Amino acid sequence: MLLKVENITTCYGQLTALRNASLSIDEGNTLFVTGPNGAGKSTLLKTIAGVVSPVEGSIMLAGSPVTRKTPEDIARLGFSMVPEGRHVFGSLTIEENLRLGTGMLTDKSGIAEGLAHVYELFPMLAERKHNPAGVLSGGQQQMLVIARALMAEPRLIAIDEPSLGLAPLVIDQVYDALLKLRETRGLTLLIVEQSSTRAILAGGRMILMRSGEIVLEGDAVQLSKGDALQAAYFGYGEH
Amino acid sequence: MTAILQFAFDALSVGSIYALGALGIALIFGVMRLVNFAHGDYVAFCVFALLWPSIDVVAIVFVGNLPWYLLIPVILAIGAGLSVLSEILIFRHLRNSNPATMMITSFALGFVLQHVLLMLFTSRPKSINLWSNLSLPVELMGARIPLLQVITIVTTITILFALVTFLKRTQFGIEMRAAAEDFTMARMLGVRANRVIMAAFAVSGMLAAAIGLILATQTGTTDINMGMPIMLVAFVATVIGGLGSLPGAVICGFLIGAATVMLQVFLPLEARPFRDAFVYLAVIACLVWRPQGLFSPKSARERV
Amino acid sequence: MVMNKKTSVLARTWSTPVILIALLVVIALVTVAIGSGIFSRTITEIFIRVTLVVGMYIFIGNSGVISFGHAGFMCLGAYAAAWLTIPPMMKKILLPGLTPLIADVQLPLILSAGVSALFAAVIALVAGAVLMRLAGIAASIGTFAMLAVINTIYSNWQSVTAATSSVVGIPIATGIWSSLAGAIAGILIAYFYGISRSGLALRAARDEAVAAAASGVDIYRERLVAFVVSAFVCGLAGVLYAHFLGVVNPDAFYLGVTFIALSMLVVGGMGSLSGAVVGVVVISAIIQILRWMEKGIEIGGASLSLPNGIQEIVIGIVMIIILIIRPAGLMQNRDLSWGATAARKSKTGD
Repeated sequence: MLLKVENITTCYGQLTALRNASLSIDEGNTLFVTGPNGAGKSTLLKTIAGVVSPVEGSIMLAGSPVTRKTPEDIARLGFSMVPEGRHVFGSLTIEENLRLGTGMLTDKSGIAEGLAHVYELFPMLAERKHNPAGVLSGGQQQMLVIARALMAEPRLIAIDEPSLGLAPLVIDQVYDALLKLRETRGLTLLIVEQSSTRAILAGGRMILMRSGEIVLEGDAVQLSKGDALQAAYFGYGEH
Repeated sequence: MTAILQFAFDALSVGSIYALGALGIALIFGVMRLVNFAHGDYVAFCVFALLWPSIDVVAIVFVGNLPWYLLIPVILAIGAGLSVLSEILIFRHLRNSNPATMMITSFALGFVLQHVLLMLFTSRPKSINLWSNLSLPVELMGARIPLLQVITIVTTITILFALVTFLKRTQFGIEMRAAAEDFTMARMLGVRANRVIMAAFAVSGMLAAAIGLILATQTGTTDINMGMPIMLVAFVATVIGGLGSLPGAVICGFLIGAATVMLQVFLPLEARPFRDAFVYLAVIACLVWRPQGLFSPKSARERV
Repeated sequence: MVMNKKTSVLARTWSTPVILIALLVVIALVTVAIGSGIFSRTITEIFIRVTLVVGMYIFIGNSGVISFGHAGFMCLGAYAAAWLTIPPMMKKILLPGLTPLIADVQLPLILSAGVSALFAAVIALVAGAVLMRLAGIAASIGTFAMLAVINTIYSNWQSVTAATSSVVGIPIATGIWSSLAGAIAGILIAYFYGISRSGLALRAARDEAVAAAASGVDIYRERLVAFVVSAFVCGLAGVLYAHFLGVVNPDAFYLGVTFIALSMLVVGGMGSLSGAVVGVVVISAIIQILRWMEKGIEIGGASLSLPNGIQEIVIGIVMIIILIIRPAGLMQNRDLSWGATAARKSKTGD
């Protein structure tokens, strides 16, 4: 098991954003996190990434405990996070953005090769590699941050809302690239995605969150067949 | 022609000191959102590091007696050390506090440093002789320019060049620039927060030391308030240049230096004592025209 | 409906100014009882400083913008008081550049105080019209630039302000009770401004600028109001100061006082009126204790004294430690009050 999250509770001041969340992902698998706004999906990823600290619970990454560790230490264990809103470094060039991810690699010889692979996957990045990243379009920035996360040679990539603010055609391109990566490199993916359709198309497992709790989990395709998904999403029968 | 040349060197030399000061402030602001009001007192501290503590009227030169190739690294190290120490002991514990708290804490630190110097050296400025042969003028394209001015300008340009190379060409430099733009995202990519911040403080401390050496040589005195005027202009230059933009801070340091010299030359005689007032009015005008700074990086704009 | 809301804010919070004023009155009574002239002067200075810091709080606390410029208003008020109350004979000699309108006049102290504070407020209106368009750090630098402009003008206009020489001859009139009155006036002005529509709107904008603007708050105007009101109170502090020392000098209203006052405000907690008052009282108390210790105190027969100069170092370290432990200041954005406190806290989820 690559990632094991057990009974995580995270609070922002008085507000409990995440309550008793547990999940696990095996190497090479894909897990989608879906649910309405404010469900705690981003908080879940931020807690795993070490950006916020949980008040309770534990997280194990590749067998090592990472609860309450710093983001930079967690990144060094093979975890790469692409947060919501892309966060390119606008004043750095595309190549500098990419090289950022390589700082923690112990074996520097593979960097040139890594860059070449990434430019192959995303040719439009190669064209502009010495331009400041701030001038890229939304879709290009999304590609850049995924590529940047890849440069660190992670075992698990977590992406928060890759389709936010992007046109449908562009989202297709992003997901094509992601899924190709999954096949060629055996990457483990943890994706927060509002649209459960994408999850179903991509396959893998899915968990549904509401109001800070995980209310449903299972195989994405199977869940889509029954009523359970809609019921959980809209909260039928609960009151 | 000679007048213009003289004027240009004056402006550049004054601007250099302001630019170095602004850079020191901007570096720390970039990574920590902290305006370090103690910076001017770092400058004074480095100057007094040349002396042995004494309340006599005459300065007892101690470290200042070392030959230049030892003196410079020692004073730079003292500057870096003081700066890093203040990070470890004080600023580290305030990483996510509100700006007012950080500002006042840095001011309190400066206050403490000032009074330590006061206790050890008294408030009387003491004269010292540091490389005074450098004040002799050299002939340059028909104008007589003090050698020290030339050295100041050359030193500043060298420092800037070295810093730019470091920031653009080295992995650590890229990490520092990334941390200055988006600290949390940088950490998620493995950038070691503490190292980057300590490096920023170390470089900032060295810049303060450089300013101290230049001022001590220029004025031939040691005065516990030496760093204050530089600090004020540096603070202003950093904001006008655009917070988070190192080139902006440097350019504005030079601009303010040039403006100061220009006003001194071109203002009518009766208005000259009020020169500083004009400079500050220009600052206000600048801020109203472009509040985010003249060179702010694109991502610095606040989004709704 | 509006009347009801305002009454209930008043009803919930009136205990704060009462407690703060009571605190100062107790200090004044104790001082008078002790009867030492020196101690009396020290407490008078503290009350003047309370007036200044409370004035700064009116703007800084409510708008969230850190202003480095308010010592400038103190300067304006102090010099105006000097101009209006120094005997005309002296003015003709010392300050020949003063217009006859002012030079020939000598106003009664209370009237001069009002006019002088008003003068500071008017200048704030002019400066603020420009500066309040700025936000955040840009605004802070703008206020600092304003202070620098005022300081440069006053330090160089020989014929009107005696430049860097001190202006002497101001009637000495500030004692314990007048400075206490000034502090109380400042606290009351701050309190009533704070619960006014303008004050509440400004605080809303401080906490959530976008939501406030979307709700129709004119942030520029509310900031300007706060700026002008705060300048009035700081100008008043300047008047008290001028009549306390009998002498004014531009250096007294520049960086030193700015940073000490800001430190007291931030260490006390810049988010509440109580923070402003508590900040001044606590820090001044610590400074005073350190002063006594430097002079030497008797403990059980042995004499204990600190080396000279250590007083400032200790107070600086104390402030740093307080801020590290309580970054929001001693009062943590809360006010001193009783009764409704518990209920109020649970409602707002404090």
